Amino acid sequence: MPNSRRLSNAASRRHLLLPYVLVAPAVAVLLALSIYPLIYSITVSLQVGDAWSIGNFTRLASDNFFLTAMAHTFVFAVAALSCEFLLGLGLALLLNSQIRGRGFFRATLLVPMMLPPVVAAIVWRLLLNPNFGAINGTLKEIGINTEALTWTASPSLAMMSVIAVDVWQWTPFVFLVLLAGLQAIPQEPYEAALIDGSSRWQTFWHVTLPLLKPAILIVLLLRTMDLLRVFDQIFILTEGGPGFATETISLYIYRSAFRFFDFGYAAAMSFVLLALTNVISVVYIRLLRNESRA
Amino acid sequence: MRLTRSLTALLLLVITVGCNRDPQPARKELTIAAISGVEGEALKQAAVDYETQTGVHITVTEFPYANLFEKELIDLNARTGAYDLIMLDDPWFPTFATKQLLTELTPLLQKRGQNGPDTDFIDASIAVCRHPYQSGSLYALPYVGNSQLFFYRKDLFEKHSLKAPATWDDVLTAAKTIQEKESGSGMYGYVMRAAQGNAAVADFMPIFWAFGGEMFDASGKPTVNTPEGIAALEFMVQMGKYSPPGYASFNADEVGAHLLQGTAAMSINWPAWIGKFDDPSKSKVIGKIEFTTLPGARKPGQAEIGNWLIAIPRTSRNAETAMDFLVWATTAEQMRRSALRGNPPTRKSLFRDPELVAKYPAYPAQMRSLETSRPRPRTPQWNEIENAFGIFLSKANSGALTPAEAMNQANAELEKIVQRGQ
Repeated sequence: MPNSRRLSNAASRRHLLLPYVLVAPAVAVLLALSIYPLIYSITVSLQVGDAWSIGNFTRLASDNFFLTAMAHTFVFAVAALSCEFLLGLGLALLLNSQIRGRGFFRATLLVPMMLPPVVAAIVWRLLLNPNFGAINGTLKEIGINTEALTWTASPSLAMMSVIAVDVWQWTPFVFLVLLAGLQAIPQEPYEAALIDGSSRWQTFWHVTLPLLKPAILIVLLLRTMDLLRVFDQIFILTEGGPGFATETISLYIYRSAFRFFDFGYAAAMSFVLLALTNVISVVYIRLLRNESRA
Repeated sequence: MRLTRSLTALLLLVITVGCNRDPQPARKELTIAAISGVEGEALKQAAVDYETQTGVHITVTEFPYANLFEKELIDLNARTGAYDLIMLDDPWFPTFATKQLLTELTPLLQKRGQNGPDTDFIDASIAVCRHPYQSGSLYALPYVGNSQLFFYRKDLFEKHSLKAPATWDDVLTAAKTIQEKESGSGMYGYVMRAAQGNAAVADFMPIFWAFGGEMFDASGKPTVNTPEGIAALEFMVQMGKYSPPGYASFNADEVGAHLLQGTAAMSINWPAWIGKFDDPSKSKVIGKIEFTTLPGARKPGQAEIGNWLIAIPRTSRNAETAMDFLVWATTAEQMRRSALRGNPPTRKSLFRDPELVAKYPAYPAQMRSLETSRPRPRTPQWNEIENAFGIFLSKANSGALTPAEAMNQANAELEKIVQRGQ
């Protein structure tokens, strides 16, 4: 800027300050809303009563509720993630090909994802009600004994039910990302594969899958983070029950903080969850980075 | 440059406006944290009437049951002084009282020329307003007099010539008979809620107490796995055979739905449901349900008390005005209006009021139930204890554990919780 040289010293100093002034409110908000609470929650997790202590962290190891809730969270995440990924990939491949009415299918498939999780969970709670619900009603009509099918009340079925609802709601998201990934793959590799005489399976395995890998890793990363902190659906469907059968870590954290008022312990559990989520994310991101280098 | 200057001016303006507090002394105002629903509705109406009479402006902030406790406790702990009066469910009271978050009411009553709370209040209702229980200082006044009742289908009892359920054995016999003889119509003998947490515990405590169980001994050690306690849980699971499938995840709504649809013959329930049975748009059982006190076993039956209390936070800046409203809202005259909206009173005179009894025929039973009721164990750790205990009750009812296993594991878990509290 040739003009700036002509400006007085004071004015140029003010000119230099302007960006800071403009950024200051955002930084202040960030400090107030993110950094301060984060530091505060670290200090809270390191206090028992009013004294400094790592008691909250040592208590985790002997807390059966915490360990079981952690195990449930991983069972839930692994099962839901596998189903969502396989179904989402299948659907994306199907609707990427030239089948009739694919516009219609694409649109309808996205509906579950558009519903707020709480609304979806309430709808499913009504559908799954063993006595008045539509699912058992229909099964009864076609002559199936529904006496034992207490979807959200039996310890063996409850976890399956909450996983099924999550799969129903979030497969569309996986599908959407993978479909976008598929459509971004150029035609040339396929033409080359065709000329080389590779089978459909070989094309999928050696062309589609490697080229889709970035999209796959991103969707897996996002879903894993979401699944590990699942709260709303389970809270509404089973509230963690029957007994403790579907209690996940975020439900237990919520209870400890807002029902038992043990913020220190709740914060300690949150940090453990955060650490685990971070480790998993780092693994995904490493894979992703290796991929882009290759 | 102009931009910088105007931005600075704007910033200064914001700061000035933000700092400039109204220098005028505000006219008297009260803020109340209330439960949303019929209980809070009545208080809201009372607030409007009080405002017209006295000119004191009252803001009623309503919260759903699930949030009220945490809002109040966070606010009182942070000493913001946002509320002058708070509604409390009685099991929450020990937490607030132990943390010394409430104003003692007796000195405020004495300033008004009263020695203590009106003797017209039901003793059991005043007892839960004291800390320690029954004998201690007064920190709240009772506003809504809920206690559990036993609901049963008197038409079916008459049809099968069963005697009114006075003991849990009578209940079991009746459940068996009705379910066998009415099985064609999809009728279940009994309906209970055994979802973990509050639901399972509320439906279990009356059985537990009647069987002679005690949650804690005199020294505060958990004792749920005594032979009496295990027998009580075995009995609950046995009653489960006559309850609709899936009851291990039932909450109050499912229990109410079964009664309203006429698909269950008996249950333990709260008075709030009574009115719904007479509503033709919801109920298939109009006039068919009888309400009575809870059945006994080795001991006389006792209901859980579940009163709504009103207390004044220690941080209130208008304690005297708040007390004036509190006394006024709990007078017989005002409570009568709340009763006409469907809230059970906490005053003896109102339970005997001929007009109210004509409108609510269950009042005599409600009064007997309330007078003989029992509070949940009075500990500031109740939420945590109820949660852990409820998990094991629900596990036993869903078949994941035997009653003895459930009670032993529950006792171990309660010991840990109690130890942490010491």
